[in-house]
Amino acid sequence: MTGAVRATIASRPRLGIMKFASCDGCQLTILDLEDHLLDLLVRFDLVEFAEASSYRSSGPFDIVLVEGSISTPEQAEEIVRIRRETPLLVTIGACATAGGIQALRNWADHDAYRAAVYAHPEYVESLATSTPISDHVAVDAELRGCPIDPGQLLELLTALTVGRRPQLPDESVCLECKRRGTVCVLVTGNGPCLGPVTHTGCGALCPAYARGCYGCFGPREAANAPSLARWFGRDGRSDADTARLFSGFTAYAPPFRSVIDSLGGPPIASHSGEDA
Amino acid sequence: MVMTSAAVPGFLPRAGLDRLLDLLAADGRRVIGPTVGQGAVVYDEIHHASDLPAGWTADQAPGSYRLRQTGTERQFDYAVGPTSWKHETFPPRVPLTIGRRVNGQVTFEDALPAAPPVAFLGVRGCEIAALLTQDAVLARGIAVDRDYAARRAAALIIAVECVTPADTCFCTSMGTGPEVTTGFDLAMTELDDGFVVRAGSPAGERLLERLELTAADPGRTTAAQDAVAAARERMGDPVPTAGLPARLIAAAESPQWAEIAERCLACANCTLVCPTCFCTGVTQVSDLDGFEATAERTWDSCFTLGFSKVAGGNFRPRVQDRYRQWLTHKFATWWDQFGMSGCVGCGRCITWCPVGIDVRAELMAVAPPPPALKAAVGIIEPARPTTVKSVPPAASAALLTAPIPLPAVEELPPTYARTFVAERRRETVDTVTLRFDTSDPDLLAGRPGQFVMAALPAFSAAPISVSRFHRDGLELTIRAAGAATRALCELRRGDSVGLRGPMGRGWPVDAAEGHDVVIVTGGIGLAPLRPLVDALLADRTRFREIRLLYGARSPADRLYVEELSELAARPDLDVGQIVDRAGPDWFGRVGVVTGLFDQGHLDGPNAVAYVCGPERMMTATVDVLRDRGVSDDRIFVTLERHMECGVGLCGHCQLGKSFVCRDGPVFSLAEMGPAFGREGL
Ligand SMILES: Cc1cc2nc3c(=O)[nH]c(=O)nc-3n(C[C@H](O)[C@H](O)[C@H](O)COP(=O)(O)OP(=O)(O)OC[C@H]3O[C@@H](n4cnc5c(N)ncnc54)[C@H](O)[C@@H]3O)c2cc1C
Ligand code: SF4
Ligand code: SF4
Ligand code: FES
Repeated sequence: MTGAVRATIASRPRLGIMKFASCDGCQLTILDLEDHLLDLLVRFDLVEFAEASSYRSSGPFDIVLVEGSISTPEQAEEIVRIRRETPLLVTIGACATAGGIQALRNWADHDAYRAAVYAHPEYVESLATSTPISDHVAVDAELRGCPIDPGQLLELLTALTVGRRPQLPDESVCLECKRRGTVCVLVTGNGPCLGPVTHTGCGALCPAYARGCYGCFGPREAANAPSLARWFGRDGRSDADTARLFSGFTAYAPPFRSVIDSLGGPPIASHSGEDA
Repeated sequence: MVMTSAAVPGFLPRAGLDRLLDLLAADGRRVIGPTVGQGAVVYDEIHHASDLPAGWTADQAPGSYRLRQTGTERQFDYAVGPTSWKHETFPPRVPLTIGRRVNGQVTFEDALPAAPPVAFLGVRGCEIAALLTQDAVLARGIAVDRDYAARRAAALIIAVECVTPADTCFCTSMGTGPEVTTGFDLAMTELDDGFVVRAGSPAGERLLERLELTAADPGRTTAAQDAVAAARERMGDPVPTAGLPARLIAAAESPQWAEIAERCLACANCTLVCPTCFCTGVTQVSDLDGFEATAERTWDSCFTLGFSKVAGGNFRPRVQDRYRQWLTHKFATWWDQFGMSGCVGCGRCITWCPVGIDVRAELMAVAPPPPALKAAVGIIEPARPTTVKSVPPAASAALLTAPIPLPAVEELPPTYARTFVAERRRETVDTVTLRFDTSDPDLLAGRPGQFVMAALPAFSAAPISVSRFHRDGLELTIRAAGAATRALCELRRGDSVGLRGPMGRGWPVDAAEGHDVVIVTGGIGLAPLRPLVDALLADRTRFREIRLLYGARSPADRLYVEELSELAARPDLDVGQIVDRAGPDWFGRVGVVTGLFDQGHLDGPNAVAYVCGPERMMTATVDVLRDRGVSDDRIFVTLERHMECGVGLCGHCQLGKSFVCRDGPVFSLAEMGPAFGREGL
């Protein structure tokens, strides 16, 4: 091995990709970066990748991408350990950044659920809540979404290699709708849309298919969810139906959570009404 | 059969529209016009007359747009929809430059795409006004947006007068429609069986001749005029604009802003559907290695938090600050900047606000007209049929006399001048001074207080003040405040960087002639003042006493330490230094910079002051200076804002009626008026 090559390898940051309570969809997004995977492997030393290989390293890492929420006592300890050993911790996806769809259980009676689902609930070690990583440890950067956006992931990794600030703007989905020429579905009556209060990053995917954004990237900065909820309720939509609109993958993120609470909680047991 | 000439309108039967489209296609023009898509009338490519929205209109209300069929054959029976022509003249994303950086050496290459010929079909009066408004901003100022100018020059404007205003329209109040009077090549008015067509430019005349129309008979000409007059009458004058700019500025501290913020989502839709809003940012699209990056100009909005971010803070954190910025810019400070209103009354921001915030109502709530006027026009329920017959055109009608632009204004160099690091000196733990060699005549012609945009590929360009001019180069003193400045601080001798400038208005040196001079500064704020000190000392006899008061957090945070000792030793200059926290070998003063005023006498009424430093230090200093009798027109401050373009094109640095980059960064307090120190501006 020549000196130059060795120098390059030594400068490759050690990257770990780990998961907690999640469906692995975000990790699949990484695997889906087909055209860039080889480049990435040159730039980063991919030491551990839960979805791609069962190999578990003991670390340490320069960068860790964390998928999933904290939903067991074990996980709560594990994340503290990882944080201690990792200079740069990035959470990826709605589970890790907001608690995920499983955070709907935070409104429910945990023991009753456990008893209803499992034959031997006493063997199931789980916390009463599913919470985002940032409720437990400090986080250096977040990639939102369910799942994350491949473009944003690439932007983050590119920025890390170049040493610049990643461009992950904390602004509404609406800006992307307008830039790509999508006509607003909220205004044309094609459905309620959470885009105005939702963090951008997906490229305004759902409205481009003529349906409202369901907020999988979670609330953006200054998200005025109460105002949007009042607007939804304006033409006769019930509080429960409005609450359901906010009760998706990022329901537990504070601005959405408080709106849901103000409307009487998430309508978890399903009933008729429109598709959120 | 009478053939039409420039002076006589012709009649184009509905079936003849395809002939017009064929002629445009034969000229190599893409035609963009109205068509039904995504539940709205949008502007898109038109190939045949059958692509037009025949028989469609839309009902519009705050926050609501619903297509509806009319049962007629009319093709232009709608009011403006969600798209505007700025999608074509000022696209959402435009590549500006491609930067490369290999082994410390940078190159920048122009990446602007070509602007092929195009024709806009169905442009309304308010939309022509919007194009002329953007012309004023982007093509008639000190700097020209070359992409915009090229696209605008490549566009043929075929107007269709509006006879079906929506309930959200208020062009009559803004003096921009519904009549089409200027800024077009061809103008058509739709009747049941076709169009009355007239030419408004030599290009339009040639097109009209090639259409070989019969002259429109008087009956049709009159019918066309009546239809437009009826539209005007239906709209009335929903927004009393008399004195509106002054009313709005006077309402800067109104509690109403906070009330609007309860409803406003800060989603930015209003600004992006607005045909005149022009704020943009620059995004970097880089490869994984960071060797190459394309800088793209991207639509941005004053409603995003990032818009007014600076290293370590934000100027408009609250939604009420952002809404106030938007509304006052549109209806008030635009007049100061461009001599016209920034609103053309198209109503898009009303319809496309997802929570139906109606600017007409908000204007009346924030800045109500005097009671007499209110009674006369019956406002607040806007755009309902009224009996007001003829409305005096609003003052902004002045802009409608502007001809189609042919921007021949002097342009700034499109890309960055490659400049080499000749010397690197560490100043403090996070600050270095770089000396650059350059023969670029523009850079060398700079004045004290001006700044440059310093660019490294893949990083956002950073505005940096020139901290010294040399005959063959210049110095920059840079603090590593974020990613870009950190990369700049890491440059080594022989590395290159792209510099563009110098920009802005520097310190007015002559203002100090025959006066005492007091220079007050803190931290890195000394950097932009250093060329001023150089200039004063180079011509020392023109000025009376000169005092330099410098505050820093600690002795180790001071810039130019040796130079300061040399200056302090001069008999013709008084240097005072003070630090917040002393170290073991500091025998000087401890405290804040205003503490230095108690040393020596300040002949306030006879003094000129130059101030630069953190915002809080500047407000405290200004208080003392005023107290000592220095008048506002002799106190000069330099301001920091988020900057992207540096030349008045991107909107980021706006402060009240000023673009800080173009009109500043140096201002006298008298010029700034109440804008100095106002929260959220
Ligand atoms: C007129 C003027 C003169 C200046 N002169 C100097 C100088 O002589 N020396 C010096 O060290 N610094 C100076 N600054 C401040 C310097 O420009 C900022 O520190 C720098 O832009 C921060 O960029 P960053 O990417 O390193 O920081 P980050 O915090 O990573 O920046 C993030 C983003 O915010 C924007 N941004 C942040 N701060 C500013 C800012 N203050 N102005 C404009 N955009 C900003 C950048 O465009 C960037 O995209 C000056 C600023 C202005 C406006
Ligand atoms: S469709 Fe949704 S995201 Fe898009 S502009 Fe409308 S409200 Fe915003
Ligand atoms: S006024 Fe309406 S469109 Fe504009 S930012 Fe506020 S909510 Fe969005
Ligand atoms: S207008 Fe772009 S920085 Fe001032």
